[in-house]
Order: sequence, then C-alpha cells, then structure tokens
Amino acid sequence: MAKTADLLPGTLDMLILKAVSLKPLHGYGVLLRIRQISRDAIEIPQGSLYPALYRLEHHDLIAAEWGQSENNRRAKFYTLTAAGRRRLRDETAGWNRLATAIAAALNTTSEEV
Amino acid sequence: MFKRLRSLFRVLTRRREFEDGMTEELRFHIEQYTDDLVRSGVSPEKAARLARNELGSLTNIKGDCREAFGVHLFDELRRQLTYAARLLRKTPGFTATALLTLAVCFGANLTIFAVIDSVLLRPLPFPEPARLVTIFNTYPKAGVDRDGSSLTNYYERRGHIPAFVSLSIYRYGTEIIGEPGSTERQPTMRVSPDFFSTLGLGPAIGRTFTDEETTSDTDQVAILSDTFWRQQCNADPHVLGKQIRLNSVPRTVIGVLPPGFRFLSSDARLFLPLASRPEDRTPRDRHSGGNVIQMIARLAPGATLEQAQSQLDAQNAALEVDDPQAKMIADAGFRSLIVPLHADHVAAIRPTLLLLEAGVLVLLLIGTVNLVNLLLIRANGRVKELAVRLALGASHGYIVSETLVETTLLTLAGGILGLAVSASGIHLLRELGADRLPLGSRIAFDARLALAGLAAAVVLGIVLTAPIAWFNLRRHLGNALQSESRGGTSSRAAQILRHGFIVSQIALAFMLLAGAGLLAVSLQRVMAVSPGFQSDHVLTGQILLPWANYPAAARLTFVQSLLDKTARIPGVLSAGVVDNVPFSGKTGKSAATVRGYIVPPGESVRGHYSYGVSGDYFRAMGFSLHAGRFLTTDDSLPSAGVCVVDEDFARHYWPKGSAIGQQLWDGSEERKDTEAFTIVGVVGGVKQAGLTEDEAQGAVYYPYAWRIGDSFYVAVRTSLPPESLGLALQKVVRQIDPNIPITDLQSMDTRITESLAARRSPALLSGLFSGIALLLTAIGTYGVLSYAVAQRRREIGVRMALGAQPRQIRIQFLSLSLRLLTAGTLLGLIGAWQAGRAMNTVLFHVQPLNLPILATAACVMGIVCFAACLLPSQRAARVSPMEALTEQ
Repeated sequence: MAKTADLLPGTLDMLILKAVSLKPLHGYGVLLRIRQISRDAIEIPQGSLYPALYRLEHHDLIAAEWGQSENNRRAKFYTLTAAGRRRLRDETAGWNRLATAIAAALNTTSEEV
Repeated sequence: MFKRLRSLFRVLTRRREFEDGMTEELRFHIEQYTDDLVRSGVSPEKAARLARNELGSLTNIKGDCREAFGVHLFDELRRQLTYAARLLRKTPGFTATALLTLAVCFGANLTIFAVIDSVLLRPLPFPEPARLVTIFNTYPKAGVDRDGSSLTNYYERRGHIPAFVSLSIYRYGTEIIGEPGSTERQPTMRVSPDFFSTLGLGPAIGRTFTDEETTSDTDQVAILSDTFWRQQCNADPHVLGKQIRLNSVPRTVIGVLPPGFRFLSSDARLFLPLASRPEDRTPRDRHSGGNVIQMIARLAPGATLEQAQSQLDAQNAALEVDDPQAKMIADAGFRSLIVPLHADHVAAIRPTLLLLEAGVLVLLLIGTVNLVNLLLIRANGRVKELAVRLALGASHGYIVSETLVETTLLTLAGGILGLAVSASGIHLLRELGADRLPLGSRIAFDARLALAGLAAAVVLGIVLTAPIAWFNLRRHLGNALQSESRGGTSSRAAQILRHGFIVSQIALAFMLLAGAGLLAVSLQRVMAVSPGFQSDHVLTGQILLPWANYPAAARLTFVQSLLDKTARIPGVLSAGVVDNVPFSGKTGKSAATVRGYIVPPGESVRGHYSYGVSGDYFRAMGFSLHAGRFLTTDDSLPSAGVCVVDEDFARHYWPKGSAIGQQLWDGSEERKDTEAFTIVGVVGGVKQAGLTEDEAQGAVYYPYAWRIGDSFYVAVRTSLPPESLGLALQKVVRQIDPNIPITDLQSMDTRITESLAARRSPALLSGLFSGIALLLTAIGTYGVLSYAVAQRRREIGVRMALGAQPRQIRIQFLSLSLRLLTAGTLLGLIGAWQAGRAMNTVLFHVQPLNLPILATAACVMGIVCFAACLLPSQRAARVSPMEALTEQ
C-alpha cells in the first residue's frame, strides 16, 4: 500500500473526522470532501481510505448506517459520534499547537538565538 | 474497550453481513468514481479501468479493513483450528492416547479439587466467617484433649470477654416429632439465644429465642429450618404461633430460617432453646462439659484471636482462684482454647485431603510429562515439513501460534472429557461416603468447578506449547533438512530430554505407588486392631425416651421390659443396654476417684470412658472376662453398689495387685461410703473412639440406673445375620410404646467399618491413582522406546548386515530400558522417603521407610516397565537388514 508524502502520518484520521463532521458522507463522498476543503491540495490514496474508515468505526469514533445516495443508490453513510467529536476537537487543538510551534521554530532568525 | 469488544462480537456473529457490506461499499465507490470520470470526458471502458486501478487490489483493501476491525485474528484462528483438527485426526493413536491421559489426569484432579474446595477453601456461609471461632476446654494431662464447654462457662463468659461481640453455645440432638402414631426422629440443635446473632444469620420470618426461654419450664418454643417448614408445614406462611408436637409436648413455632441455612455439617431440622436450670450454671459445674455442649463466638471487629485468648486466660485464672478443685484442674493442664471455627471443623480431615491433592498433582505431572514426550516425538516427525515452511517464509510467530492452537485444542478437548470424568468421580466419592466428611455435603459438580477445569486446560495447553515451540524453532534450517530424517540419527539433546522425562515419570509413579502402599498397609494394621469385643453378629440401635413421659423410674421399667421381650425373639443369644455404645461417635470422658489412690505428683486425675449397663451387655457385645464376674440384671440398681472396670483401668491403678474388691466413686472427688462402687469384675479394654485410639483410657461400667441419659443403646447378639433382626427389634419397641422409634440400627461390624471410612477412601483412591500412574508410565516408556527403535532402524539394519545377532539388538534395547528404570527407581526412592515423612500424621504403626513396601513397589514398577519395553525390543530384533537399508 503506497503512502503519499504529502499526507503526514496520523493526519488521515483527523481529515476524515473533519469531513464527516460537516455532513454525513459515504466513503467516496469523504474523498471528494477532503479534496474540496483542502482546495485540491490533499489527495487521499484511495486504498487507505476504507481501512481508515473501518478502524474509526471500530473505535466508535464514527458510526455507519446504510442509506440512499444522491443518485438513489444504496450506500453506507458515516456520521461523527460524540466520542469522534471529542477526538476531533482534541486533535485539532493539538495540531494547531504543533503547527504554531513549528512555524515559530522555522521563522527563527539568527539574531533571536 | 468494552464497546470495541461488543462491535467485534457483533461482526463475528454476523460475519456474512460484514463481508457483503464491504463488497457493496467498494463497488459503490468504483461506480461513483467511474461515473465522475465519464462525466469529465473519459471513455466508459477507460474510466472503469482507471477507477479500479486507483483503488488498488480489492483483496488487499478488504484484508486491511478486516484487520482494522480485528476480525482477521479470528479468521486466522479458525484456519489454524481446522488445520490442527485435521492433523490430530490423521494420527488417531496419538490423539486417543493424549486425550485419554488428559481426561484421566484432569478428571482425578478436578474431583479432588472439588473436595478440597468444598471442605477447605470455600468459606462458611455466614457473614464475615473469618471472625467465627470455637472455644473448648482441654485437660491434656488427664487424657482429655477436648471437653467442649459447660453451661457455667457460657454464663460466666458472655458479655465479659471484650474481644467477642457475641458468644453462644449449642448441642446436637435428636427429638421425636409429630402426632402420636406418626412420630419421626429428627436431628435438632439446642442453641442459646445469641446463637443466630453470633453466626450473623437469623430467621427469615419470626424471631430468635429470648433469655426468658432458656429455663427448663419456659422453653416450649421452636425455630424451623426451611426444609422442615416446606416438608412438614407445607410452607405455611402463617406458621408462626402454631404448635408442633415434640417429644409429645406441644411447642410454639416462633421463626423459620432462610433456605440454605446450615451450621457446619449439621442437618438439624429444628432449633430449640438450650434450656437449663439455674442450679446447673453454678461454679461447681464449671468443668462438667463432657464434650456435649460446644461454644462458638464472633470476634469483635479488629480484635485478634490472641487478644481473645489472653482475655479468656485471664478470666479463667481469676475464676479458678476460689475453686475448691483448683489444684486438680491445674494439674490436669486445664486451658480453654480458641480456634477458628472453619479450620477446627475440618482439622481432622485436612492432612488426608492435602495428601490426596498431592497425589493427584503428581498424577497430573506424570501425565504432562507423558504428553510432552508424545508431542516431542510428534514434532520430530514434522521437522522437515516445518523446515520447508520456514524456508518458504513462514514467520516464527506463526509457527508458535500454530503449535499453541494445536496443543490448546488438545488440552481443551481433554479438559472437557476430564470434566465428564470428574462428574462421575464425584459420584464415586459420594458412594465412598464423601458427603459424610465435615462440610462434605457441599461437594458438587458445579459451574465453579467446570470453569476451573477449562481454565486449567488452557493453562496446560500454553505450558505444553513452550517446549514444543522451542523444539520446532531451535534448529538451523539447513541442519533440520538433513538431520533426524530417516538417514540420520536422532539428535543428542532431544534424546537426553526424552530419556530424562521417562526417568522422572518412573520416579513419580514409584513415589505414588510407595505412598499408596503405605496407606494400604496402614489400613491393614488398623483393621487388625481388636476393638476389645467380638464385633460380629451384634446388632445395636438407639432409643430416645422423652423425659416428659419417662421419668427415671419409668425408664428403668422400659429397659427391663425391652430386655425381657428381646430375649424372647428367636435367634437372640443375649441382649443388654448401654448408655453409649462403642464407635457411636460420642467420646466424652469423666473422672473416677479410686479409694485410697493418691495421684502421684506431676500427674493428674484421668478421664475414663464411663458407661451405664444393664441386662447381659458384656455377653451381647462379646467382651472377654479377665477376672471376677460380669454385671447382671440383679446389679442394675445403684443400691447394689457394684461396677466393672476394664483391663486398662485395672492396670493403671493396680499395676501389680488385683482390682477386684476395690472401691471407687463416679466423679473427681471422694463421696459418702454409700455412693461408692465395689469392683466385681475386670473385662477387656475397649476402643470407644476408634481402632486407632492409641492411649489406653480405661473404662468403668456402672449399673444403668446410675447413668440414665436422654437415650440408650440396645445391643443384641444373635446367631443370625445381625441386620435381619432389625424389624423384630423395632416391633418389640413399638409393642412397649408405639410412639418410640428405634434408630441408628447398625451391626457393630458396620459401625467399625464406617469408622474406617476416613482411612479406606484415601487408601483406595491412592491405589487408583498409582494404577493410573503405572499405566501412563507404561505408555510413556513404550512410546519413547518404539520411537527410538523406529529412529534407529537403519543403524540396526547396518549392524545386522555386518553380523550382529537379533539377541544382541534385543539386549541393547532392554538394557537401555533397564538403565532408565534403575535411575527412575533410585530417584523415586528418595521421593518416596520424603513423601512418607510428610504422610507420617496419617499413618498408623507404619514407618515412612518401609522396606517390604518399597521392594514391592520396585518389583511392580520393574515388571510394568519391562513389559512396556518388550514389544519395541522384539520389533528391533526383527528388523530385516535388506528392508531397513533400502527404504528411504
């Protein structure tokens, strides 16, 4: 299974949770939504999407239910659970802290040392 | 965690749905993507191909999804289980032997564990049972180790020992219950009012006894057991206040106990107040316990046994200050001991049970060694296959898990069979009288036992996996592909390991065999002891006369008329009565004071068995007469002033002179001349408590009228089989009074046999265990030797081709087994010696290192091992050089 360099390890789960938090989505929908909200900057490798969805469902962070797709096909829709919402909040906060810290570190100039 | 397990469980139970859903979800993805691609201008065929390629291998994704859910482990497990089951089916001989070994070993272990669990481990069914203690008086220097407690003790102690929150007394009994014409004798308990609060468990409905109900005129109340309430009162919810007839006197029901209420091993159906008269509670009666009344107490929270003991010692010391008998009591080594109730109740049986547990554990060890050996041989046969698989990339973890699954499958199946064996084992123990053990009625095959059995099976599976997995992974690949194949010889380490196992097996089996021999010889020695009378052809039965209808004079009339009528039953040679028959289980002793005898300094007054006899008791029981004469019916009245003593008594007081004509008083002090008894005869010594009673206690036989008790025994010597007289005897009693039943009808032989149950069952069981151990050892030896022969066929073939004789080959293998046998037996000797020393407490007149037993055990061991080696050796000698050398 190929890993993309532009997706940091551990961020896939976070992105899926975010995508599902906006609106219940089926697997393909998650793919499109991530592409959309990242303004086409992030391309999820399709092979790793479903194992990630199953892992999140197994850990009770998202819930799955069968429903009708926009073109009236039977599809499995994922929604965020309460535990998933908590996890997303924590991970977002953690990510922001990390990003700020790294940005600060990278912007350091020699005078500041 | 719990949620995750639940979702996994849901998926496992609806596996099909999970798989279908996965397939549909992925198909939906591909179709959606294809549609989008087509919409962006890609041709439909190309779009379908692109969509499929972008997703990657569906099989891989599905595998990853299953893994994400944790499902894959179960798929793997199922695959390995199927594989293991197929392998086991392919070798039915091995599988059957292993399963049988496991079934027998687990069965025996679970059976004994069930006993240990019910008797020793499971706490008593009362709140905070660890705080319950029992207290008894002991006079070790007078030969009275245990004398219960007296009423005086109870009234002096209750409320005065701060380390006890509650203290109470009880006595076991039986009462005649029911309306005239349909009476029954039922076991009962008489208890003090605080009995139930001491236990912490009282009536489910109604109340307990009050202090006002403990005097002899105001005690007409009763508390029912749940069983009695259901069976005799039809579970009447309004039973309180109703009356039941007890010994022909009505008593008011004031309470019903909850279901399952059971005090120790008692099966009392009714509880009555332990009533007494104030004059029985005075300091004069402080030491008149007689092992009839027992005392229990509950320790205060935080109080220790030691604190309670020192408080009790202090109280005893203070009370004895103004006791006129203080010196005698002190000389007798008097103390009141406090011991935990549960431990005290099972103390007598504990060493035997632990011994049996050790025995079955040794059996399990032998069985395990056997299994390891068989599994190693089996693994050896698969070395090549494994090497190929490892070479092809099977991971070490996978090989280990495969071994684990196979071994655990085997032990688990064996464990289930073992549960079945233990179910019948427990049944067998019941037949042997296990439910008469202390707390023995709790022995049962239950969920707790089944769970313990399955857990043990899994643990054993894991334990067995270790050596096999080690063996499987130990060798280098290249090596394995060549060695241990038909062409090569067996590796040195593996061979030493196998032989080591055989030696340890022989040693363990030898230990068991020698232990069983010690128990058997010990039992034989006990059975050879004479009880002091001729126990054959004697029937005995107990008769309880209610005091209300039978005051002292009426009792004597009843006894006389019973003796007259019994003598007329055809087949009766002689008949007599006694207040306490030998082997009845009642072993109370009392003091006797011999006129003119001065207790030597440093010694104390002795306790003797005291009886009251009437009729032809001595002839009926077959006592031997050593001097003088027996008591006769004419001596029955106390005014006759005569008594008979036994040889032990006579020897103790008159080691040189004659006892005839000497005088004594019943009790621990000299009384008036008119109350003295003159000894007119000396009879054979009696074993009251059991054949193993080693200390000669001495006995005094007074006229029955002097020792009238609640009940008496009738003893009848007959020329017929004694049991056949039971009905006739019952009829005679009913003729005199239709409301009086005769109970506990048993021949003296039966009483003696029953008294040996605690020795016979362990001897039988250990015999059974060592038989199984022998069989297992034979199987193990046979298996290893057969394997050695098969391994060395080629070598044997070469040697025979070069001129070796079949005899030499045979001798070679037999001498190998002889070496193993010798090593095993020598090790076993050391073990047997140690085991014998540990068994010393349960042995009777047998030294732990008994040469004849050890020699016999060695012979049996030798014969069994030799027989097991004979067949493989013969097979080795018959190897044909041509076949051995040409086969691959």
